[in-house]
Amino acid sequence: MYGLPWSLIVTLVGGAALTGAACGLLGTFVVRLRLSSLGFTMSHAAFAGAALGLALGIEPLTLALIASVLTAAVLGPVAERAKLPADVITGVLFPLTMALGLIFLYLAPGTAMSSSALGLLWGSLLAMTHTDFLWLMGLTGAIVLTIGLFFKEFQALLFDRKLAEESGIPTRPFYYLILFLTGATIALALRLVGGLLVFVLLQSPAATAFQFLYDLKKIFFWAALLGVSYAGVGIALSFAFDLPIGSAIVLVSTVGFGLAVWRSPKRRR
Amino acid sequence: MATPVIELRDVSTVYEGERVPAIREINLSIELGEFVAIIGPNGAGKTTLLETINGLLPYTRGQVLVLGQDVARFGPQLRSQIGYVPQEFQFDETTPVLVRDVVLMGRYGQIGLLRRPSTEDRTRVQEALELLGLAELAERPIGKLSGGQQQKVLLARALAKEPKILLLDEPFSHLDFAARDEVAELIARWHRERGLTTLIVLHDLEAIPSHCHRVVLLDGGRIRQDGARERVVQAFTLAYGK
Ligand SMILES: Nc1ncnc2c1ncn2[C@@H]1O[C@H](COP(=O)(O)OP(=O)(O)OP(=O)(O)O)[C@@H](O)[C@H]1O
Ligand SMILES: [Mg+2]
Repeated sequence: MYGLPWSLIVTLVGGAALTGAACGLLGTFVVRLRLSSLGFTMSHAAFAGAALGLALGIEPLTLALIASVLTAAVLGPVAERAKLPADVITGVLFPLTMALGLIFLYLAPGTAMSSSALGLLWGSLLAMTHTDFLWLMGLTGAIVLTIGLFFKEFQALLFDRKLAEESGIPTRPFYYLILFLTGATIALALRLVGGLLVFVLLQSPAATAFQFLYDLKKIFFWAALLGVSYAGVGIALSFAFDLPIGSAIVLVSTVGFGLAVWRSPKRRR
Repeated sequence: MATPVIELRDVSTVYEGERVPAIREINLSIELGEFVAIIGPNGAGKTTLLETINGLLPYTRGQVLVLGQDVARFGPQLRSQIGYVPQEFQFDETTPVLVRDVVLMGRYGQIGLLRRPSTEDRTRVQEALELLGLAELAERPIGKLSGGQQQKVLLARALAKEPKILLLDEPFSHLDFAARDEVAELIARWHRERGLTTLIVLHDLEAIPSHCHRVVLLDGGRIRQDGARERVVQAFTLAYGK
């Protein structure tokens, strides 16, 4: 990081930490509510949206946000009723969103292989702007606040949706609130981690925390902390070995998750 | 006569994506403090009936009034006052909730949004856990309990809610003989002491408690018999053998 101004370093590291925390917190829902395939599809839709933004010369993050939230709105009801098997959704929509994303990149003015185009695919530290940082701060704050205010309701939803309804909690608004926040997080995380790999941060930290803990408060805390750590160590690796940031984060997450499964008391028989 | 606590008028419930109603043209009226057993062969519609009453399943025709209000409109609010022990439950090993919290969560609907459980909530939970002999398991993850223990936790949860109506779907199915007697006694006591309106689904006629005088026989989604225990049980035995 030598030679970079301090304010930039703060933006980068802070942005990465916030991305990790937001993804870790929401990942807890994604893992437990089995929203993986939905999140996966949303992240590639966000990528396609950002690519379209590049092609049209519109702010990519705005279109990424619209694309992922729209995907949540369309697929949410499908996933909610489990009418279509999750792997079907992924199998059909993943290629579609990727194909669209690549077409948009191809159509983007200038060379398609420009660094901003590639950044959408595998992430880029330097693309993080001060504005992104502020947005990430707002979003992470909103997530923490939402979980704090409605902890009871989310705890019930994450335990068992039918029993949550039984106790008198209307679960649907909370379910869609989570989908919406997940869509927003994916879109904002896109810049750092890239469309191909952003999903890993939603899955890995929370899945790791679930290996060890039964208390939801602790799970939230550790998922956020692991998200921050994976992102932080990923950045360090990326700088040290000049790796794409997204890939570096994935490598770190995978090692972390692997260690967790190996050491997990829940898997010990 | 007082207004009934539960009233179904010509109610049919169709599962999503199905054409044939699982229960049809049900007329049923239950008074405050009644104890009613519901019997019938597999697939008769017993579970569907209970979940139509508490609104977990939306009914397709007719009207369901509980405590004088339509379940279709006031579902969550009514459910916070109805204890329900489902027939099917499965909590996998990684379920991130402790037994005590499972029981406490039964009260979440009553506690309401933006409020935290009070000391009183926790006291009710502790009492319910002790009533069912679960105090020692309180800090264990729910997924690590046996099926019978989990069923007791769900019973404790329904009681800790201090409901106005109790719906029990085969609540003895996972319990051993000793536990059956204890739980049956507990249910009887709550009915007697608190005048708790109770509906219990049973497949074992012997398990119908002695203080239960009214039995409803369901078959093919319809009510075939509804009345005095001896008469309905006799009709059932005649029709299906024993
Ligand atoms: N989720 C579902 N989707 C579609 N049909 C269903 C569903 N659940 C139950 N049914 C149908 O509704 C009818 C009534 O089922 P229900 O579960 O109410 O029976 P039951 O009397 O509780 O049976 P059991 O004694 O086996 O518990 C059955 O014909 C069943 O096939
Ligand atoms: Mg049943």
